[in-house]
Amino acid sequence: MKELVTFQVGSYANFIGSHFWNFQDELLGLSEDPQSNLAFKNQNLDMDALYRTGETQQGIPTYTPRLISVDFQGSLGSMNKHGTLYNQTSSHSSSIPTWTGNVSTQKSEPYKKNLFLKRLYDEGKEIVGDSQSEILDTDVVNSLEDGVDFWTDYSKVHYHPQSLFELNGSWINSQDFNNFGIGRNALSEGLQGDEINERFRFFIEECDHVQGIQFIVDDSGGFSGVGASILENIADDYTNVPVLLYSVHGPDSFQNPKNRKQNISSKLHDAVSFSALSSLCKLIIPIGLPSLSESGFCKYLNIQDKKMYHSSAVYASAIHSISLPFRMNRIGPSGESLSEYGAMDLYEGVQMLVGQGRQNTVAILDAVMPVPSLTGRVFKQSLLESFQPLTPETKHDVEDLQAIESVVVQGVLGSGLIKSCVIDAAYGCVRYMRQGWTRPDKLFRAIFDDNDEKGVHEASLSEVREAVEAAYEKATTRPRFSHLSVSRCPIPIPLPFPLIFGTHVGKRGEILSQPESESESESHDVESVPMAARLRSSTAILPFLENKLGNIRKFGLERGSIGAEVLRNWGFGREEVEEIGENYSKLVLALDPHQDYSSDSD
Amino acid sequence: MSLRVLNPNAEVLNKSAALHMNINAAKGLQDVLKSNLGPKGTIKMLVGGAGDIKLTKDGNTLLKEMQIQNPTAIMIARTAVAQDDISGDGTTSTVIFIGELMKQAERCIDEGMHPRVVVDGFEIAKRATLEFLEKFKTRVVMGDGPDREMLKMVARTTLRTKLYESLADQLTDIVVNAVLCIRKPEEAIDLFMVEIMHMRHKFDVDTRLVEGLVLDHGSRHPDMKRRAENCHILTCNVSLEYEKSEINSGFFYSNAEQREAMVAAERRSVDERVKKIIALKNKVCKGDENFVIINQKGIDPPSLDLLARAGIVALRRAKRRNMERLVLACGGEAVNSVDDLAPDCLGWAGLVYEHVLGEEKYTFVENVKHPNSCTILIKGPNDHTIAQIKDAVRDGLRSVKNTIEDEAVVRGAGAFEVAARQHLVNQVKKTVKGRAQLGVQAFADALLIVPKTLAENSGLDTQDVIISLTGEHDNGNVVGLNQHTGDPIDPQMEGIFDNYAVKRQIINSGPVIASQLLLVDEVIRAGRNMRKPT
Repeated sequence: MKELVTFQVGSYANFIGSHFWNFQDELLGLSEDPQSNLAFKNQNLDMDALYRTGETQQGIPTYTPRLISVDFQGSLGSMNKHGTLYNQTSSHSSSIPTWTGNVSTQKSEPYKKNLFLKRLYDEGKEIVGDSQSEILDTDVVNSLEDGVDFWTDYSKVHYHPQSLFELNGSWINSQDFNNFGIGRNALSEGLQGDEINERFRFFIEECDHVQGIQFIVDDSGGFSGVGASILENIADDYTNVPVLLYSVHGPDSFQNPKNRKQNISSKLHDAVSFSALSSLCKLIIPIGLPSLSESGFCKYLNIQDKKMYHSSAVYASAIHSISLPFRMNRIGPSGESLSEYGAMDLYEGVQMLVGQGRQNTVAILDAVMPVPSLTGRVFKQSLLESFQPLTPETKHDVEDLQAIESVVVQGVLGSGLIKSCVIDAAYGCVRYMRQGWTRPDKLFRAIFDDNDEKGVHEASLSEVREAVEAAYEKATTRPRFSHLSVSRCPIPIPLPFPLIFGTHVGKRGEILSQPESESESESHDVESVPMAARLRSSTAILPFLENKLGNIRKFGLERGSIGAEVLRNWGFGREEVEEIGENYSKLVLALDPHQDYSSDSD
Repeated sequence: MSLRVLNPNAEVLNKSAALHMNINAAKGLQDVLKSNLGPKGTIKMLVGGAGDIKLTKDGNTLLKEMQIQNPTAIMIARTAVAQDDISGDGTTSTVIFIGELMKQAERCIDEGMHPRVVVDGFEIAKRATLEFLEKFKTRVVMGDGPDREMLKMVARTTLRTKLYESLADQLTDIVVNAVLCIRKPEEAIDLFMVEIMHMRHKFDVDTRLVEGLVLDHGSRHPDMKRRAENCHILTCNVSLEYEKSEINSGFFYSNAEQREAMVAAERRSVDERVKKIIALKNKVCKGDENFVIINQKGIDPPSLDLLARAGIVALRRAKRRNMERLVLACGGEAVNSVDDLAPDCLGWAGLVYEHVLGEEKYTFVENVKHPNSCTILIKGPNDHTIAQIKDAVRDGLRSVKNTIEDEAVVRGAGAFEVAARQHLVNQVKKTVKGRAQLGVQAFADALLIVPKTLAENSGLDTQDVIISLTGEHDNGNVVGLNQHTGDPIDPQMEGIFDNYAVKRQIINSGPVIASQLLLVDEVIRAGRNMRKPT
């Protein structure tokens, strides 16, 4: 048992998280569904790493994410903050046991549930007859395309009552909650910090061997301050628990600010918050491109940048891939699994990127979605080149001999190669025999049926490994060290997923040479997608750091600059700002020791 | 209007418009909170869009729940919340007092007075009222044995405004005993030493005081005892889990044996720590005595196993604050390293047992010898009831603490307000020269809002009540309002006492904020942020 605790702080972080948990929920469902693809059934992922088993007061067992989500009051939409599992019947709600005097009730309009949620809630109940009222899949998908206001609108996961925390921002409206200073103070109001600590303790107390914390924080507004103070508390109490931090930037935060003052303020915020967050975790991964749809990443995807629902789905897929090695079951030192390769725990993963040589704690996230299949030579040449950064402000074509890379490839298709067929067949044999099948003819029939899906197969582990190794051999610049994790299980696409796949993407995420059908939006049918993601510790991150260092120098440290006052309002004195500057210099120097970035070189 | 030249988009409200905007905001806020005041007030049930319920009668909670947008209202609300932070109660009173000051000032200003003059009057009246409060307060001597009855009366006065009578009376005993339990002579009272724990279980009347501690977790090993008597308690902050070494060993061993050896070596140091604890247990436990470890850090399954085999009950990841509380409740001291282990570090509890509700486990540490820390265990059928009782308990604890620290109380039920008003009108006003007199008069009338609102909330006629109360005061009797009959009563006889600190804070902060608002003669909205998109 190696447990992970997940934090989602801020609205965009919760949008991403919501997709992330939908994937997990889909995986859980598929692994038990007899109809599903072998790759899902044979997956050997340890879901207990992310989920916890519990029990309600009525003795009903529950299985919920080990998650703490922090967001604004009212950001949960129609979802109850206590979740749905642990609620007792609300028979008491009408009577008030603690007061005999007058009662006045203030009822706010109940939030309307969208089609998806309506259907989700109706599934629990027995519907008698009336097939007319049934809601079709396409309607649901389209209604989500039309409008998602809250991250809960497309969440199909049950949450634990301790999971959802609403920040009581009594006098903050969301527009003004836009800087690090406000966020940092918000938690100290009314013991809210203590409350979050308590919830975290609830989850971690039941962990036998916690492997670490994955922390997703929306760093575009005040929530980075909230995140930083949560992390400070964690660092105090749980010194040895490693934190892997994704600092995500929503698409709307890149809008050009209206005036110069706001512009400076937002630049300073970015600089201050990144510096604070990076010093509180083992590894920080900045995520969020200003325009995802125009980036090279979206070769096969149609993404509307305006919709948080769209872009968050992509980032969630990448985070899902990155977290796979942390959940792979280890089968002793010699035994090898047929469906996973390259397990490591969060600490090992982080140490590998950070601990060797340069001590650089900022990593770049690259991803490919969908991954081209293994047929022929295309993959070998292109996998490494087709990686596109999801981290902003990175340099292309960097020659960095000191780079360290960690690649995760999942569910790559190997278009009917015999090797993978044989493995599947062998796997199927074992499984069906365990179920008590003995007659060989039936057995073969069943296995044959399983494998006869358009001749598309997940490539076997060794194939993928060979291919990736070959790709590294051929690459012009090779990193100093690279680690590979492979899973045969692709990303399952749940129903509440945006229609982002282009017409060249097939049912199982294969890339088609011609569009599958004439109609434009035929992408409903994508059931699963192969994905590859890579964490990279490389000098390509330098522009990102240098920009921030430049901003803090220019606006915060220069004599008579406007920013100094802004920073003072956020509670940063001159010394602290200087410290931030030095922190950046250190980060930059770790990557590029030749340049002179020390702060006294004016 | 020079601003117009600089920024043609700026919106400007001048003189009377600005003033009336402020006054209306203050009156609006007053209206919202007015019905809360007193034991006959109205409880508010807030139902959110997702069906979540919040019950409150507390002005502070209500202000936090309301999404206040008006800048003036925000200023007042902040004052009220500051009131709560400082004194723990009186938010509703602050808001309605500020509202009433504004209302009275409005009358004067409408008659042509300059706000400055009104404000001067307020200032004089405020100083006089504070002086009067010094004379009016009832001194309570807090020697070694505090006046338990007096503390109970203060707590009861607060609690009865928040919960129904019999529950309030039950909690009164609980909060008074809790504060007296943690009180140490010559030291400030730290209310954090009273743990407030809640269980969604049974009914509100099952709320009780546990002399000892209740922890919200249990042991994580099936073989550990669920109930143990005569326990030595070891409070510690020692990691009993296998930790990763700082060097990334994972990538440097070349075969399985090396890895095993490395793991074994790391494991051994943890085991040694566990063994030291077991050795201590064997040394101190005689006969049927038991040994309980409460650790702030983690304990992993192999360590739990070792401890369980030695018959030790172990809890991991205790709250940081519970480390302090445990030592105060059971004695001994918190240990940070196994090298410091000694028999006199151990505390003692007569009974330790576990209570399980679904997935929630509670560990009770009871029957301790000289508790200096205790737990108020709140029970209730649902979350919003628990939340409301919790708020009330917090306020009750604060009121007891205030009384002990102030060494004084103030007669309640509106008695102070009426007395202060008569004092201002009959004596202070005469010493003031000029038009500031009217300011003093306005202040004096504003004080009456407390008894007026109390009467109004009880369904009584406010005029009758005020006349009979002022009449009695003029005759030299200090009386308050009987909520049931509307007759004057002696608060001392009825045991209705308010906190001195709360009253002083209201008198202090109310006029300050009201004066600031009154002196505003121009409101400027400029800049993009302030205007709401329409």
